[in-house]
Amino acid sequence: MNNPFCLCNKNIIITGASSGIGRQCAISCSQMGANVILIARNQDRLRETYNRLEAGNHLFYSQDITKYNDLESFISDSVSKVGKISGFVHAAGVERTLPFRMMKPEYYEDLFSINVIAGFEIARIISNKIYLDASGASFVFIASVRGILGQIGNVGYCSSKGALLSGMRAIALELINKKARVNCISPGIIETDMTKKLFENIPESSKEEILKMHPMGFGKPEDVANACIFLLSDAARWVTGTNLIVDGGYSAR
Amino acid sequence: MTVNEFIERIREILELEDAQLNIETNLRDLQEFDSLAVLSIIALVDEKFGKQIPATQFATITTIRSLIEKIGWEHFE
Repeated sequence: MNNPFCLCNKNIIITGASSGIGRQCAISCSQMGANVILIARNQDRLRETYNRLEAGNHLFYSQDITKYNDLESFISDSVSKVGKISGFVHAAGVERTLPFRMMKPEYYEDLFSINVIAGFEIARIISNKIYLDASGASFVFIASVRGILGQIGNVGYCSSKGALLSGMRAIALELINKKARVNCISPGIIETDMTKKLFENIPESSKEEILKMHPMGFGKPEDVANACIFLLSDAARWVTGTNLIVDGGYSAR
Repeated sequence: MTVNEFIERIREILELEDAQLNIETNLRDLQEFDSLAVLSIIALVDEKFGKQIPATQFATITTIRSLIEKIGWEHFE
């Protein structure tokens, strides 16, 4: 029987591949047979991810995804090397823990440029028929339950993830005639370097409160990567414009 | 930044209008000193002095003097 979750013969671009959820998505996708094209700023950590991939026709590019004018060159280069793109995971993301009253316009701009605009830009470029796999494609934006539910000291992050969720639906509708599906995954707290940093910046009591809000405890990058495999695979053939919440019950209450 | 300017920034963060605030003020005695205020002061210290105080270490801070000592006197004019 064919495995409906197989990612064989799919070329998948993954941002934020140097750590956390992005890194695990890259490893897991390669294990499911995909060729992955990794992008992140930190070359050493990117290479580390690359070295952990299952054998395949993989590529990596070390660049800043907020330099929007440079995005097309890495996409066209990878298409010329491995073929057209059938998947995209936008896992790059930053967060800033700061009370609303301390926020500044440039902080919102930083958060939105990485978390939202760079992702939409890459998706826009890939959706050009010279780059997009005509047999079908799947785009996955890693949002957050904090895109739906508020959290103290997190207005910038919450609003950027909310923007991903609402933008995703509009993009999904526009790309249906290109056979591209577009979805989000909204994780709860996943144990990564980013959340480790978050916990260093909030009082111990707040950390305990956040843990209590996750009935199944905190998640692991694999939990998100597995959801990602589903959305990227042909098993999700009829799934578009949706938000898959992977939060160990956080938002169930 | 001088000590007085620093105290003034803390006054702004805590939105204290008339209260006397000086280097010996124990922040924990102030009603306005809540978890959001802690986050704000951590952000202020990071922005002005490039120094990251983890929230867990903030628990030892009481007076403004103890906060300044944590930051380091050498950062003040």
